[in-house]
Amino acid sequence: MSGTSKFEQLVLPHLDAGHNLARWLARDAHDAEDVVQDACLRALKYVDALRGEDARSWFLTVVRHAFYDWCRRNRPSELIDDDGTALEMAVDEAGVSPEQAALRGAESRALADAMAELPLAFREVLVLREFEDMSYKEIARVANVPVGTVMSRLARARSLLQRSPRLRSVRGQTLGAER
Amino acid sequence: MNCHDAEILVSAYADGEIDFLRKFALERHLRGCADCRAKHEELVALRERVRKEAPFYAASPALKARISATIGAVEAAAPSPLRPAQRWRWVGGGALAGCAATVLAWVLGSAVLTWQASEDLANEAVATHVRATLNNHMVEVASSDQHTVKPWLSARLDYSPPVRDLAAEGFTLVGGRLDNLGKHRVATLVYRYRLHMIDVFVRPEPVPAAPPLTTVRGFNVVHANGSGMDWVAVSDVSPDVLAEFLQRLATSQ
Repeated sequence: MSGTSKFEQLVLPHLDAGHNLARWLARDAHDAEDVVQDACLRALKYVDALRGEDARSWFLTVVRHAFYDWCRRNRPSELIDDDGTALEMAVDEAGVSPEQAALRGAESRALADAMAELPLAFREVLVLREFEDMSYKEIARVANVPVGTVMSRLARARSLLQRSPRLRSVRGQTLGAER
Repeated sequence: MNCHDAEILVSAYADGEIDFLRKFALERHLRGCADCRAKHEELVALRERVRKEAPFYAASPALKARISATIGAVEAAAPSPLRPAQRWRWVGGGALAGCAATVLAWVLGSAVLTWQASEDLANEAVATHVRATLNNHMVEVASSDQHTVKPWLSARLDYSPPVRDLAAEGFTLVGGRLDNLGKHRVATLVYRYRLHMIDVFVRPEPVPAAPPLTTVRGFNVVHANGSGMDWVAVSDVSPDVLAEFLQRLATSQ
């Protein structure tokens, strides 16, 4: 089987999954497309090395690498800042006023925003888990971290999400309106 | 198990990812602790919300089309390993068969080589066009003014390509860039026609044998001679429009 037909058969079916991951990581429609295109060129180049293993995990790993390379070139500050400081910012209530949240309207929009604000390392495990329904072991392979780290990052991601001022202020508004 | 341990474990528990012993301990803790039970319920609800409400961003049809085009272009640009061997077998066979056959083989062989060269050129031009489109690197000098684009190109090449603006005919000059084509550094003029991008590669040596028109992976490749230059245009614009445009560009003064 030639590289291109192998690519078409094994990788193309996971293009949507790859794009979804890139879109959540890059948080920008245009940048996500750049990342996916780069990932496809890489995947095409190395698809011959893909033997038997899960093509989706493999392609998502390629997309993730393409994103981090892109990020190093275009938004290096995002990688440096992505430690504790980003965590504090994620729960900084002063960041969003209830008025802003109300203007945003839909609660779903607030949920998406809250997810997009999670620090990168937490966002990626959450996306792989909730959209791709991957096991912790598969996530560990794609994100190149131990299974224990996947477990703690997911727990952390969810607790940050629960405490997110975006979700809370929307809920506060709704409750306020009900009273 | 205390509440601190339970808090760390509930997330993995909701995912069905903890081992039997810890699951047993956690369930026992949850039965006895209303706080942790509430936390667990909240977590499960959040998980459901994320799965139901968070947007899944599928790739757009335009992106899929672009990716298919790239794959095609990459495949077309990759040299087939069989070609050189076949070429030499022809020539070799001709020599063994006798003088007349050798001459015949030589004529055929050179015809194949010329055809091959122009086909390679078309493939390379399409691959270059696709790469520039995908990387959003269409122009290095962005200007609709021919008097800006021409000196920029001349300063970087050992020849001065003619640059014309055909905006009146609907072909807007977007800018120019440098590419490598057939191992030479060439000037690329970029035009926009409606929603289509057109790359025009301009080289100083005319190639008389090149076919006027070919199609590579859905992209039309048009060739023309004029003003002492060799012109190759690549675009998804329809072939007749592209050919007329290039002819005008190559011959107008």
